[in-house]
Amino acid sequence: MKKFNLRLYRHIRQAKGQFVAVSLVVAVGIMSYVAISLSVIDLEVGAQRYYELNNFQDVSVELMKINESGIEGIRRMPRVESAQGRIFFKAPLEVEDKDEKVNVGISSIPDAKNRINDLYILKGGWIQDKRRDVLVLEQFAEARGIEVGDMVHPQIGGKDYELEVKGIAGSPEYIYLMEDEQNLLPQPTKYGILFVSEEFAQQVFGYSKAYNEVLIKLKNPNEDGIFKDELEKEIERYGVQRIIRREDHVSDRIVSEEIRGAKQMANVIPLLFLGVAAAIIAIMISRMVKNDRTSIGVLKAIGYRNRDILTHYAKHAFIIGALGSVIGVFTGYLFSGPMANMYQEFYRIPFKVRIFSWQYLGIGFALSAIYCIGAGLWGARSILGIVPAESMRPEPPKKIGKTYIQNITFIWKHIGFSWKVVWRNVFRSRKRFIFLSVGIAVTFATALMPAHMLNVFETMFYDQYGEFMRMDYEIAYNKPLSERSAMEISQLVDVTDIEGKLEFPFEIENGWKSKVVSVVGLNPDTEFYNLTASDGGVLRLSHDGMLISEPMAYTLDVEKGDIVNLKNFIPFKDDMRIKVDGVVNQSLGLNAYMDIAFMQERLLDEGMITGVMIDSTDRVKEKMEDVKNVSSVNSIADLKNIFKEFTKLTYAGLSVYALFAGIIGFAIVYNSTMMSINERRLEFSSLRIMGLSKEEINRIVLKENLIMTAFGIVLGIPLGRWLIELLQTSFQTEFYTMTAPIETNSYIYAAALTVFYVLIAQYFSSLKIKRLDFIEALKNRIS
Amino acid sequence: MTGKTTLMIVEKISKCYQMGEVEVRALEDASFEIYDGEFVVILGPSGSGKSTLLNIIGGMDVPSGGNVLFKDEEITLYGDKKLTMYRRNSVGFVFQFYNLMANLTARENVELASEICENPLEVDLVMEEVNLTERMDHFPSQMSGGEQQRVAIARAVAKNPDILLCDEPTGALDFKTGLSILSLLNKVNKNHGKTVMIITHNAAIADMADRVIKMRSGRIISDKYNKEPIPPERIVW
Repeated sequence: MKKFNLRLYRHIRQAKGQFVAVSLVVAVGIMSYVAISLSVIDLEVGAQRYYELNNFQDVSVELMKINESGIEGIRRMPRVESAQGRIFFKAPLEVEDKDEKVNVGISSIPDAKNRINDLYILKGGWIQDKRRDVLVLEQFAEARGIEVGDMVHPQIGGKDYELEVKGIAGSPEYIYLMEDEQNLLPQPTKYGILFVSEEFAQQVFGYSKAYNEVLIKLKNPNEDGIFKDELEKEIERYGVQRIIRREDHVSDRIVSEEIRGAKQMANVIPLLFLGVAAAIIAIMISRMVKNDRTSIGVLKAIGYRNRDILTHYAKHAFIIGALGSVIGVFTGYLFSGPMANMYQEFYRIPFKVRIFSWQYLGIGFALSAIYCIGAGLWGARSILGIVPAESMRPEPPKKIGKTYIQNITFIWKHIGFSWKVVWRNVFRSRKRFIFLSVGIAVTFATALMPAHMLNVFETMFYDQYGEFMRMDYEIAYNKPLSERSAMEISQLVDVTDIEGKLEFPFEIENGWKSKVVSVVGLNPDTEFYNLTASDGGVLRLSHDGMLISEPMAYTLDVEKGDIVNLKNFIPFKDDMRIKVDGVVNQSLGLNAYMDIAFMQERLLDEGMITGVMIDSTDRVKEKMEDVKNVSSVNSIADLKNIFKEFTKLTYAGLSVYALFAGIIGFAIVYNSTMMSINERRLEFSSLRIMGLSKEEINRIVLKENLIMTAFGIVLGIPLGRWLIELLQTSFQTEFYTMTAPIETNSYIYAAALTVFYVLIAQYFSSLKIKRLDFIEALKNRIS
Repeated sequence: MTGKTTLMIVEKISKCYQMGEVEVRALEDASFEIYDGEFVVILGPSGSGKSTLLNIIGGMDVPSGGNVLFKDEEITLYGDKKLTMYRRNSVGFVFQFYNLMANLTARENVELASEICENPLEVDLVMEEVNLTERMDHFPSQMSGGEQQRVAIARAVAKNPDILLCDEPTGALDFKTGLSILSLLNKVNKNHGKTVMIITHNAAIADMADRVIKMRSGRIISDKYNKEPIPPERIVW
């Protein structure tokens, strides 16, 4: 080994703690990039392959009724490759616990080749006896412990059907299973899909040779937009309720949002970590060069070129980057496997896809090399200005005046000796002060994110189910009924309050943007919905306008006062222009709210409702079990419980973020303190000679760090707020918005975490102080 | 001095520094020649410009005026790259405070210099020459000042340079150790025929030189040959 490289090696070995700490920051950045990128690619490719293999729909239509000749008409359309009718209805499923309300979607599946949305049989086989065999969707079967050979009991039209489970299957349509767009979280124990033969479905739902849904494959899937308009005209007479393009399909949309968000994270996290690592490296190398000024002069005198010396110091940075990226790429690759599995299990893709892309590994290496070497060269650039002759002479002492605090004599007089040392150092080492404070600010801001996110999720769900929606139960009908049905329900269960509700899907258009959303008709004096604006002002349902949720305002880019087009699919009902009266402070769900009377009159039929909302302490679920025309009973308490389950998973994810913040904080504080100790050996030696113990010196360093930590936290507040705003904007989707204000306890939690990380770094730095040979430092003049 | 090859010609060298609004003249019209194999002592009090002169001769600094010719090549016209090559292959430096690399052993410090030269000497032989065979694997912090200075001399000699430039080589050493260093430099001069130039404020050292150039306030005030240089062992201060 060249002796110049040997010097490098020994230097790194000597300061291994610092090198490892920075390498760890690089490693986490690269690991996040590689792990997220690889696993997301696996998810993306897996979903695509699944879609191709099982012929996933390009467009689907929900309508009142369409016969075989109507479907034949669709098939004849020039852009259509194939079309398939389907019968789909929701029905209650009888389960052992009478108090538990479980719903299933009963979906017909044809006995033909080249089925659209074909099933992927995981266990058992295909339907044999078309009158009593059923296939169960994997997630539901797993959640409820349903096995092949078990019997299931859907209740259709008030009648109990006993069906035998012939197989467990996956479906490209239900990669992510949600009952509807209003539920953000899957509830696989409460809702599932049963696939039955067409014959059985047509018989039990009274759809002889007819269907209420059509699945369509296009010759060119990119033409789905144009096709939608053509299709509307073609099937107008069949009572179209919704035309859903693939990009609007709930399951695909959720997966796509996940992929988009994850890709964004894969780009942001590494940049944050590499940025921090680059800052530490640049400062570390520049301090190193400053301390090695004489040695660099000697090297130049011996005959080493500027280029050799610059490369020598840049190699320090390169080694940090290389170590970090090797660890990062390796662990990232290792983590990508379980992460991809987790993704592919969460989003039910029945086969494992593993794509090893060198591209991401290469980018990982290249990213760390660019950042680290760049930072190293930046830090070492002062080498070029070192003149060997001058570097041999000791630097003249710096001109130092009084610090700000020394000018406040009243305070200064009353400060003890060690605090004087502390304050003087804090104010004098301005670069160190800025570096450490900014570093702490980044740590605090990174820690604030998970703290806030936890609050956001809590706020999002607790506000939605408790503050915004205030009913105890929501009872949905399987078809519109007269308002009298509410009276009937109040006779079946003890209610303290009851209101009818009309909920129907409509397409709302604003310019070129459009979305099929659930429009909810409510009593203008509703007690069950707390309709307020984000500024807290109460919103009222007017007799000719509508209110929209925040995610909808975001999706359609609509503001209060805008006029939108409401497209009505119901035969003989006209589309209408309607004014947006306000945006409701609702984080979850795409909804619009109208006065129920206005909605009945203009959009549907007078006196009709699709469900009721009640307040009751009665055994509602049990009593509603066999009630005809009731498709589902949801309690707000159940939804809250589902959220609690969900937050357990979220905790794990957020803890990783908190750990990331810790790595950044540790690396910054540890490196900064170690650099400071190295530079202040003479000062500490003098203090030792004056009679201070190592513990007292350690306390001085701790006090300095804590003062800078306090300052950094204050600086971190606006930085954290800005980061969170950025996060909220980039993670805003059409399913939810995250606009909750940052709670005081999030700040406290983030500050406590930051101080904790600083103390850990301080502990490791104190070991160095204990090992320092102060006498040697006093007599030594070699570097 | 007839019969000797001229190694270096210093012609009317001057050096000015700007310190704020004041111009400091560190060197003024310094001219002399150095011959191959000479042992030269440049003697002067602090601030007399001797270190500045040494730095210019060694290619570590550039003059404000005048020129320096080394083996008929004008080094004062050299760019940074050529000056580096000049320092690398033609000059060996010995500093007052040794300036060794702390994390390299004695031998490694010497190799650090020798491995970049065109025509280096065998490191083991040089270490033997400076009597450090036993201490070769010690780090500077494990060595005395005298030993460290020996390593510094070995580092300069191992490069096999044409001239050794020593800046107060005994300045940080006690009398006895100082003498041993002077003996070593004398040995390098006599046994290896290397030109050695020492700058010092210690007048006693001048007695061992072939030639003594005295400086004061940036000027050369005398340039004389010693008729009978005394061996370093007889020097007293």
